[in-house]
Amino acid sequence: MKSRKIWALKGIIVALFLLAAPSFGAAGEPPATVRIDSLSHLYDGIDFDHEMHVGVEEDCSVCHHHVFGDGVANKQCARCHSDSKGTSSVACRDCHVEEPFTLEHMMKIEADPNRYHIDITGLKGAYHLRCLNCHIEMDAPSECADCHERTDIGDRFYRSGKYAPTGGESGGHHE
Amino acid sequence: MSGISRRKFLKSTVVAGGSAAAAMSSTKSAFAMKEFEGYPDSMGVLVDLTRCIGCRTCEAACNKEHNLPEPAVPFDNFSVFDQVFHGGKQKRRPTEKAYTVVNRYETKAQGAPVYRKIQCNHCSEPACLTSCFVNAYKKTKEGAVIYNADVCVGCRMCMVACPFGVPAYSYDSALHPEIIKCNFCYDKRLKNGQPPACVEACPQDALTFGHRKTLVKIAHERIRSNHKKYVDYVYGEKEVGGTSWMYLSSVPFDQVGFNTTLQKHPILDNTKSFLGIVPMVLGIWPAMFLGFHLLAKGGKGEKEDKSKNKVEVHGE
Repeated sequence: MKSRKIWALKGIIVALFLLAAPSFGAAGEPPATVRIDSLSHLYDGIDFDHEMHVGVEEDCSVCHHHVFGDGVANKQCARCHSDSKGTSSVACRDCHVEEPFTLEHMMKIEADPNRYHIDITGLKGAYHLRCLNCHIEMDAPSECADCHERTDIGDRFYRSGKYAPTGGESGGHHE
Repeated sequence: MSGISRRKFLKSTVVAGGSAAAAMSSTKSAFAMKEFEGYPDSMGVLVDLTRCIGCRTCEAACNKEHNLPEPAVPFDNFSVFDQVFHGGKQKRRPTEKAYTVVNRYETKAQGAPVYRKIQCNHCSEPACLTSCFVNAYKKTKEGAVIYNADVCVGCRMCMVACPFGVPAYSYDSALHPEIIKCNFCYDKRLKNGQPPACVEACPQDALTFGHRKTLVKIAHERIRSNHKKYVDYVYGEKEVGGTSWMYLSSVPFDQVGFNTTLQKHPILDNTKSFLGIVPMVLGIWPAMFLGFHLLAKGGKGEKEDKSKNKVEVHGE
């Protein structure tokens, strides 16, 4: 029973994909692909075709904000970051934390009353908000399984596939 | 009017005045409680409808977290969004088998549908709690409104009192029926400082967990920095005295199933002022009417007796 509960807890931590830092070499070349699979659970990891996406969107700041120090597309961000210097790391996970709702993280954010960025999305949220919104906008694949295959644990979590309800219950809705 | 009766009347008036003052002071302290604006470290969740994609992952996470019964259809089946009840007027609601549900709204303003998650909003001053005469409900300092089935007598007053129509009742259970609603994952998560299961599962960060007072700031900042996208309103910031769960939307709230006619002060306030008068009435009225009685009896007692006798004579 206890192990089931642990599995349940694990199941709820949905595929918090961790984007490997696009490790810029001496030449500053972006990676061709980025494996997004850390913490994948309900869904398998994916090989993000970074090279292809660079071809689709030439302005890096659309995804990477101001981290390269060469301006930022978003006007709201440009108010402060139009001439910001490049940052030492450009990985998503360095700003978008895996677990944004822990008390420790909250305390860190709230410790400085003058802090502007009190609303940074978590890593999972950052990926989906960035990827999915653009995919829908550009009519690219936007179903869950279009990007990542669901695992057996995922099927059980969604009560789908071989774990689908056997019936007998009719809606279970009471007013 | 005789001197004695006047003295008696004055005496009783003084008594009445004294008790009135006492009653007033106790009423004053009762009114002061009205300013309660929720616990200072109350947690909450900001639901951003512009981010929700209707994936129902929160529903699946809730089902798993609370070991709820098997759903009628898998959580990746979106035909549930077409379900309507009461002649098409009512969309899905939380039930005894689902603490939270997501509904889809096709709105005129927006090209794409808008999805809205429903669950207990965990009011700062909950009407369910104040309506319960056996104190089965509790508002915890973390912000959760939780329910104790052991003392519940099943009157279902809370279901009537809730301004959001959230509490459900397990009618199917013949022996131990109970009220069932979202408990903010209080026992397993919230009291340990962890976010509820639905928040953790949401892939879109449509649910943001945090201190309520911080969430209010975040909500207004999202509106301010993207005023073209959002309706300039945070639903739940003021409704019925404020709720722990609040909403942001890109379409007017009444178009996506919200009750926009709710009062901005706690529902308890509607009866609080009346209930505050009760001790005053109990204190003053006996003394005041005793005074009237003594006054009337002392001054007119003999005359009344005479006229009474006359009537009796006539009667014979």
